[in-house]
Amino acid sequence: MSRLIALVKREFWENKGAFRTTPLVIGGIYIVLTLMFLITFNHFDNEFQSLKELARFLSQTEVGLRSEIIYGVTIAVFPGLFTLALGFVVFFYLLGSLYDDRKDRSILFWKSLPASDTLTLGSKLLAAMVVAPLIFWVVYVLTQIVIMLIISAVVASLGENPWTLFLSLGSPFKAWSMVLLSYLAQSIWALPLYGWLMLVSSFAPRIPLLFAVLPPVVVAVLQIWIEFLQTFTLKKNLFGVIGEWFANSPLILSADNHGDDKLSVSLGIPLTDTFGHEVTVGNILDRLFSTHMLIGLAVAAVFLGTALWLRRRATES
Amino acid sequence: MNNVIEARGLTKRYKGTVAVDNIDLQIPSGRIVGLIGPNGAGKTTALKAILGLANYEGELNVLGKNPAKDRAALMEDVCFIADVAVLPRWIRVWQLIELTENIHPKFSREKCLQYLESTKITLDHKVKQLSKGMVVQLHLAIVMAIDVKLLVLDEPTLGLDILFRKKFYTNLLNDYFDEERTIIITTHQVEEIEHILSDLIFIQDGRIALNCSMEEVQENYVELIVAPDKAAAARDLQPLYERELFGRFIFLYKNSNREQLKALGELHTPSVADLFVATMSGGIA
Repeated sequence: MSRLIALVKREFWENKGAFRTTPLVIGGIYIVLTLMFLITFNHFDNEFQSLKELARFLSQTEVGLRSEIIYGVTIAVFPGLFTLALGFVVFFYLLGSLYDDRKDRSILFWKSLPASDTLTLGSKLLAAMVVAPLIFWVVYVLTQIVIMLIISAVVASLGENPWTLFLSLGSPFKAWSMVLLSYLAQSIWALPLYGWLMLVSSFAPRIPLLFAVLPPVVVAVLQIWIEFLQTFTLKKNLFGVIGEWFANSPLILSADNHGDDKLSVSLGIPLTDTFGHEVTVGNILDRLFSTHMLIGLAVAAVFLGTALWLRRRATES
Repeated sequence: MNNVIEARGLTKRYKGTVAVDNIDLQIPSGRIVGLIGPNGAGKTTALKAILGLANYEGELNVLGKNPAKDRAALMEDVCFIADVAVLPRWIRVWQLIELTENIHPKFSREKCLQYLESTKITLDHKVKQLSKGMVVQLHLAIVMAIDVKLLVLDEPTLGLDILFRKKFYTNLLNDYFDEERTIIITTHQVEEIEHILSDLIFIQDGRIALNCSMEEVQENYVELIVAPDKAAAARDLQPLYERELFGRFIFLYKNSNREQLKALGELHTPSVADLFVATMSGGIA
């Protein structure tokens, strides 16, 4: 156990920039934008006159609706940049996870330690599935708290009560837990992708990105072409499978619903009705205990097993 | 005798070429073995098999374990420096120490810090900020602080200046080696390690060309230096190898009558380098 923790720590040390600095920068951007917004308002608008109006207007809207909007913003809009960046960070982290130390030959040092290849692979997977999402989540929550404090101070200075205006609404703890649950569920849902990236990382002689992207593209294009030749139609192919898999993911996404001003928040993208897309714990668990997930886990196991097999042989020549 | 390494029929093929060819080998504990051979002779391949870094055919037993199956368990009792500067470049010295401490049950932080005290390396240094020599010093400090039974050094001092190299081997001998441990070293700078070795193994084309202790070298091999007029007489005594140096002839003999040789010229114990050259040119096998 202590070995596993030590190895996970090593992943964090090596990837501090991606795992820690990235979310901190995003949080910083959010906070700076908030301050800039307030300063701009103040600049064109003596003593926050219209901001005061806005606060007064908001305080008169229906509490239920206000609460719903605040909740939606907390679970979907606000984490947006964090979620996007987390996706990129994990993608490139896994792509380099079994490649970088082969490239700089430090694998010879890692292999001189009494840690099995299985443990090493596990530590890297754990870093991608748990450590990175957890750090991003903590920074997201902290950023939101800081911004709520800033806005509360401004609102209070305008003579409104921030507590009744928004602090007491939108069940932030529920929203934050939902985001955390969604992140961790996504880690499991995305295992086939993670497994594929680690597999590529374990054998690519160079440019792992190319080896990760090219094979699925070639397969899908061939599928589409053959299908087209045979039936003159464009049916299901690898692109479709991957797209559907992403659309069914337990990630909380938000979209501007056909310009009707109502924010739509959903789990994944509601293209098919295989799974419910409303953001509920039930719908998230539904995905994790589905046949889809089972197939996904089987695919992931094959990829990860092969990656492990290749890792054992990585020092052959 | 307690053997650290036992190999029978150890063979390694790479796509048609045989890198290690049916080697039988026993290395007892408490020895310092020099594994010497030309480039591509199969030294590194053999070591990789011993360290569980590559698959092989044949039987191999290192400290009672099968390296191909139990690399992780084996590494609790074996340490290796497989090449110069393979420490991860991004890591800081304190991180490296903490990591090794948490993963290696036989690592002593105090010992490691003690070795580092005599260097210019600080705990906050990143490996990439260190010079090549300092990286090797750091690696050696880590390795020497681990209480293992077998230490394998594959070209540990390649590309380092003579001061570093000398210090490296002095530290190794004075602060690390004892009767319980075994060290295997490969290097091209044979003359620098010959005085610390207890055993010699020459490898050529994947086979063992010579395997003997340094005492056996002294007992069995002798070099004779003669003036040109005695060269023909010396040649009649079936030398293994001959060469010419500054107009004098040097002959290498195995198990020959020293009294007889003495009459012809000066006798010396051959250096490992000379023995190596003689072996590789086919004289001894």
